[in-house]
Amino acid sequence: MTLDRRTFLGTAAAASAALTAPMVRAQATPRVVVVGGGAGGATAARYIAKDSKGAIDVTLIEPTRTYYTCFFSNLYIGGFKEMNQLGHSYGAMAAGGVNVVHDWAVGVDRDAKTVALAGGGSVPYDKLILSPGIDFVDGAVAGWDVSAQNSMPHAYKAGSQTELLKAQLQAMPEGGTFAMVAPPNPYRCPPGPYERVSMVAHFLKQNNPTAKILVADPKPKFSKMALFQEGWGTHYDGMIDWVGEDFGGGNVEVDPAAMTVSIDGEVTKVDVCNVIPAMKAGRIADLAGVTDGNWAPVNAADMSTKADSDIHVLGDASQQGDMPKSGFSANSQAKVCANAVRGALTGSKVFPAKFSNTCWSLISTNDGVKVGATYEATPEKIAKVDGFISSTGETAEVREATYIESEGWYSGITADMLG
Amino acid sequence: MTWRTWAVARACAQVVARAYAPMFALACAPVVALAADDHSEADIIDIANDYGIDPAPLLVTGDVEYGAYLSGECTTCHQTSGNYDGIPVITQWDEVYFKVAMHEYRLKTRENPVMQLVAGRLGDEEIASLAAYFAQIED
Repeated sequence: MTLDRRTFLGTAAAASAALTAPMVRAQATPRVVVVGGGAGGATAARYIAKDSKGAIDVTLIEPTRTYYTCFFSNLYIGGFKEMNQLGHSYGAMAAGGVNVVHDWAVGVDRDAKTVALAGGGSVPYDKLILSPGIDFVDGAVAGWDVSAQNSMPHAYKAGSQTELLKAQLQAMPEGGTFAMVAPPNPYRCPPGPYERVSMVAHFLKQNNPTAKILVADPKPKFSKMALFQEGWGTHYDGMIDWVGEDFGGGNVEVDPAAMTVSIDGEVTKVDVCNVIPAMKAGRIADLAGVTDGNWAPVNAADMSTKADSDIHVLGDASQQGDMPKSGFSANSQAKVCANAVRGALTGSKVFPAKFSNTCWSLISTNDGVKVGATYEATPEKIAKVDGFISSTGETAEVREATYIESEGWYSGITADMLG
Repeated sequence: MTWRTWAVARACAQVVARAYAPMFALACAPVVALAADDHSEADIIDIANDYGIDPAPLLVTGDVEYGAYLSGECTTCHQTSGNYDGIPVITQWDEVYFKVAMHEYRLKTRENPVMQLVAGRLGDEEIASLAAYFAQIED
């Protein structure tokens, strides 16, 4: 080919454009980093990527390659689900344009606006969304710390802990005792411990019907209490002893080596002990300096933290007001946050914040119950607007329809989170 | 589309939906979804009369983009893929019947506490926008 002046100029311009283009692009495309690929973080990452159509670079930092849902993990314990039905990959999210980084976020430099990774290096952000879920408060249950979680599992982060608790339940001697130390408020999934008691009872009724369940609870009452107690009476009469605050349920000490639980000074030898300690925001929220006490206070309108308007906290880790800490809540908050973050970075329209939550629980086969509410953003907090709860004495048909609905919700929310 | 075809679809929807909500999605949604969306005002008033509701909310026109935003509240449970796993399918519904269902939930004449709660705080324009958005979702 002969090189004439026109070709040369054209080639030079193209080469120069190719060289400068990536830099211009890197400066121009705003960056969102999301830490934590659960119900809050995965939803936020997916919605921002999907709705910004390439106008925002979205990176999700999540250490695990398979996400096991905490919701429905009690149904695995009860024998209604297999573990592999609770596991989900991030493949569809990556295909949807989210840069999925499997690593631990170990620090946040708020001045430089970068997130440090355990594997080395750091990721820059314009807006940071933290959705790290929960960690446990040190010393919350006397005698227990995370080094004891093999002898006395919490099973409150789904995965190997859930499998361990199920294995211990299966290995219980005939007529043995399953103990649970329930957590104080506020904690992840308010009906969760009591759905778990129901699922353990369901398993034992079929496999070890003379076994007993002992629950030590620091609270005087709990979520869906009347519904659970009605169901325990109907399905598992005489099997479950619930010791609430009034009877010393909060005065508990465990000995993981001896496998004993002391409730208000009375020591009981047990075969399985499920310790669910008091909870706090996942550690990265602390490291980012956006917590106040155990949780990260946020503004209701966009889930931005009170400490730093460029850092948002979603789900269990946030202190937002009236919403329970649930996967549904986190998913709902993530959409409000995604809409606000997109608006701030690209000028897209920001609609008023609306939130909702529903929590389904299974008490026995086809005996589902639910509680739900709608919420709005006020200057002070996320405030409840209206709500409902299943009634005691509902027909078997209603309870079965509620359970079927919960199955549909599980498919819906996992698809909504992960694509 | 004749009124008679509509009447059949409506009757089916009414009977089955009230008997058993999840069945509604399986049995009736396809029937309704096949129907054309271009109702005359007179058609819509007829439909409102059949259901015994005020026609005004059914005549409101929705905005697809606004509906897309609002749909976030729906898609935690209702799958945009149109898959059914226990929660009724709401994609590709006829817009008028979508509005009818939501208004009935709002009036609490259609059973389901979650839907009564969600619909209870939606205005006519929001319902119309959701109807417009879900009607145009492709497979």
